[in-house]
Amino acid sequence: MTAAGVVTPLLEVENLEVVYHHVATAIQGVSLAVPPRAIVALLGTNGAGKTTTLRAISGFLGADDAQVVSGRVTFLGDTVTGRPPHEVARRGLVLVPERDKVFETLTVQENLRALVRGRHAARDAARPLVTLEQVFHYFPVLAERGRQLAGYLSGGERQMLALATALLCRPVVLLVDELSLGLAPLVVESLMTLVARLRDELGLAVLLVEQNAGAALAVANHGYVMEHGRIVYDGSAERLLAHEDVREFYLGVGRREGRKRYTEVKQYQRRRRWF
Amino acid sequence: MSLAGGYFKTTYDGDLALVDTRLRRVTLAALVIALLALPRFASPFALDLVAQVALAAVGALALNMLTGFAGQVSLGHAGFIAAGAFTTAVLVEHRLPSPLFALPAAALVGAALGVVVGIPALRLKGLYLALGTLALHHVVLYACGEFQNHWGANTGASIPPPRLGAWVLKGTTAWYYALTSIAALVLALSVNLQRSRAGRAWMAIRDREIAAESVGIDVARYKVLAFVWSSAITAVAGALFAYQRAFVSVEAFGFFVAIEYIAMIIIGGLGSSLGAVLGAAFVTLLPHGIDAAFARLSVQGGAEYYLFPLKFGAFGLLMAVFLVFEPQGLVGIWRRIRNWFFLWPLRYRPLRPAS
Amino acid sequence: MTQALATTVVVASLYALLAAGYVLVYRATRVLNLAQGDMMTLGGYFLFLAATSVPGAPALSVAAAVGLSALSGFVIYRLLMRPMAGHPIFAAVLVTVTLGILLRAAIVLVYTDRIRHPLPLLGLANPPRRLPGGAVVSTFDLFTVGVAALLFVALFAFLRLSPLGIQMRAAGEKALLAAQRGINFQLLFALSWALAGFAGALAGTLYASNVRLDPSLGVLGLKAFAVALVGGLDSLGGVIPGALIVAAVEVLSVRYGDPLLADVSPFLCLLAMLLVRPWGLFGTKEELERV
Repeated sequence: MTAAGVVTPLLEVENLEVVYHHVATAIQGVSLAVPPRAIVALLGTNGAGKTTTLRAISGFLGADDAQVVSGRVTFLGDTVTGRPPHEVARRGLVLVPERDKVFETLTVQENLRALVRGRHAARDAARPLVTLEQVFHYFPVLAERGRQLAGYLSGGERQMLALATALLCRPVVLLVDELSLGLAPLVVESLMTLVARLRDELGLAVLLVEQNAGAALAVANHGYVMEHGRIVYDGSAERLLAHEDVREFYLGVGRREGRKRYTEVKQYQRRRRWF
Repeated sequence: MSLAGGYFKTTYDGDLALVDTRLRRVTLAALVIALLALPRFASPFALDLVAQVALAAVGALALNMLTGFAGQVSLGHAGFIAAGAFTTAVLVEHRLPSPLFALPAAALVGAALGVVVGIPALRLKGLYLALGTLALHHVVLYACGEFQNHWGANTGASIPPPRLGAWVLKGTTAWYYALTSIAALVLALSVNLQRSRAGRAWMAIRDREIAAESVGIDVARYKVLAFVWSSAITAVAGALFAYQRAFVSVEAFGFFVAIEYIAMIIIGGLGSSLGAVLGAAFVTLLPHGIDAAFARLSVQGGAEYYLFPLKFGAFGLLMAVFLVFEPQGLVGIWRRIRNWFFLWPLRYRPLRPAS
Repeated sequence: MTQALATTVVVASLYALLAAGYVLVYRATRVLNLAQGDMMTLGGYFLFLAATSVPGAPALSVAAAVGLSALSGFVIYRLLMRPMAGHPIFAAVLVTVTLGILLRAAIVLVYTDRIRHPLPLLGLANPPRRLPGGAVVSTFDLFTVGVAALLFVALFAFLRLSPLGIQMRAAGEKALLAAQRGINFQLLFALSWALAGFAGALAGTLYASNVRLDPSLGVLGLKAFAVALVGGLDSLGGVIPGALIVAAVEVLSVRYGDPLLADVSPFLCLLAMLLVRPWGLFGTKEELERV
């Protein structure tokens, strides 16, 4: 927090550009910020570049012959671009991935122990103190299924286990990739409400990458929309919810007759849309 | 194959031709003339080396068909060579020493063994397949060992030089011509197989078996076919080994021989006929290169003693270096050089699907 | 008959020690370390090195041998296997084959292929012992069985109960997810290779003291590999029944059949298993599709 009352973001991405195989630009000029105690939604359709952005933030690009060619990622004031993923996680920037989110051959209890927090996690006041009891309080089903192999959990239970394990890493910023994927609408709603609770009760900051724009914007404070590797909309959640094009193309409400393809929309041509 | 501009194919025959550009035709003719004329200029030692390279190339090309084209990993190559060699020994034992019997018989035995290995191989993939072939290699060697104990002399069976009617194949130059022409035949066979329906089916199976099956390729049939082709040719190579060495013994076909052949196709470049030949040349000439280097340095004392583990170790080291740093082998290096010239002044090819 | 039983248990224990190394490396890195036999030989020669440098100090020599072997395993992973991380698994397995070649070449360069016996240098003897029931085994045969049992108990406890063991299992299943949970999986992979070196060295020092030491001991590794496969490549628990089965087949075939069968019978077991149940007795079936 600076003296002028401007809040320093916990996680800041500045002009990030990622290139695959030396020739294909996946994302370009991507800038976003996650302030403390907030949920930030990152929306977009398939192939927009959301997962690439998350991967670049959490340090996973190397496996895919991808490189960060410009820009940087700053977390709690330190540059984390290009750091190995386990180091990024230990600093408090924890990712809940889209697929492969639990260890299937380990029991639920073992899953909750398969993590390393980082040397200063215990002393760092900025990192929320999450205990096992609290986790069972938020996710009571995990307490019931303690000795079951995680491979036999249902989709919703897996998501809860993944979230719980991420919480036990004592994250400062939680990156959540496609929380709603493959889950029934009621389950999605309850999980989103839970994420909002975590923000309010634990002071967590969350970057929520979502295809389900409606569910995400319902709990988010701020939102970004990506298309073709760039950010095209940036504003508070209320403004995004009211915006005509977001409503039509991402929320699916709005006029049906004379429906335009989104590439024909004037805003698409501009680099960035300011409100 | 990519061509620089200026070559246009106007007939189907032109498109199907194995050697299509004028540059390639000229190069091939020059190579043939050089090979034919070599005995006039080279020492018997050098001729023998080339003959050994040719024989190794036959085995390497056969292994490349199985592992490079069809993606079926096989660690049992030495077993097939032994099978061919011992078939020859068995026939010699039964007073049928002529190569007219031995070579086809070896091919048949190899093919049969290929079926025996290939059908169970349908259930296995990757590492498990490799291990199965390794186990079979030991079983084949055991059978050969039994034969050697009961019928051959204790250390091995000796083979008389091959005789076709009145003419006997004997002497370095004669073996040189025989082996290089056989290697050339097998190379032509390999390149043609690669371009044929079977070859395309193999490569489809190698790249993505499930997709191959779903477009209607009979995966089982082609996998067994790969084993049969590969082991038949390898067995013939084994028979040729037997004739050239004039001696057959189980000890000559240990696991290390299989590793040598795998090194040949890996160092040469997996999936490429040219690579198999290059790799065969590299692996065969490497020990002699080390010998020559040692002689040049004229190390004192009992240093010759260190030569064997050094050759052994150098071989392992080079294989590791190629596996780690240049997985596409010598052919990869050649292609990079060629592409550098093709693409200049650009640096990168347009994106292709991941290989 | 009891002699055959005793011999089976002894042979099984040696195979189990080697097979443990295979399983540990496979579970972590999905690579078959075909150099495990040569790592065992390396352990034996480290013992010889220690025994010739400081004769008459068996505890020190054994500790040095297993310690150096564990360190070798660690270094081998960092230098040789880690760069192979993105490559196909078959290539990585071939690299282990070349590693075996390199190890054997290095050993022959330093020690020639003369047969060595470190036991007298350690100041120990290996007298035969008579078991109840009439079977006769050597003292080090008994050591082998005891050490194998201890190692397995320790490994089970470590992997099931300790935090590091759970992290190792997690990293072996999904390395990427483990990294996202702050687990430094590269370090844990190196640790599993160190453990494989440790187990191999136990086998090597015991065999060198019990029978002999020469560079060609690596063939035992290939036979033990059949044990790992019969039990299930990713199952530490499967090693024990696998070892007993393969050892029994080997001992019985030598006794009632042809002595030459000793080398082939493990591979016959391997083949039979591959045809009937490729993922082994206790392995997971999905593993078959991974490679």
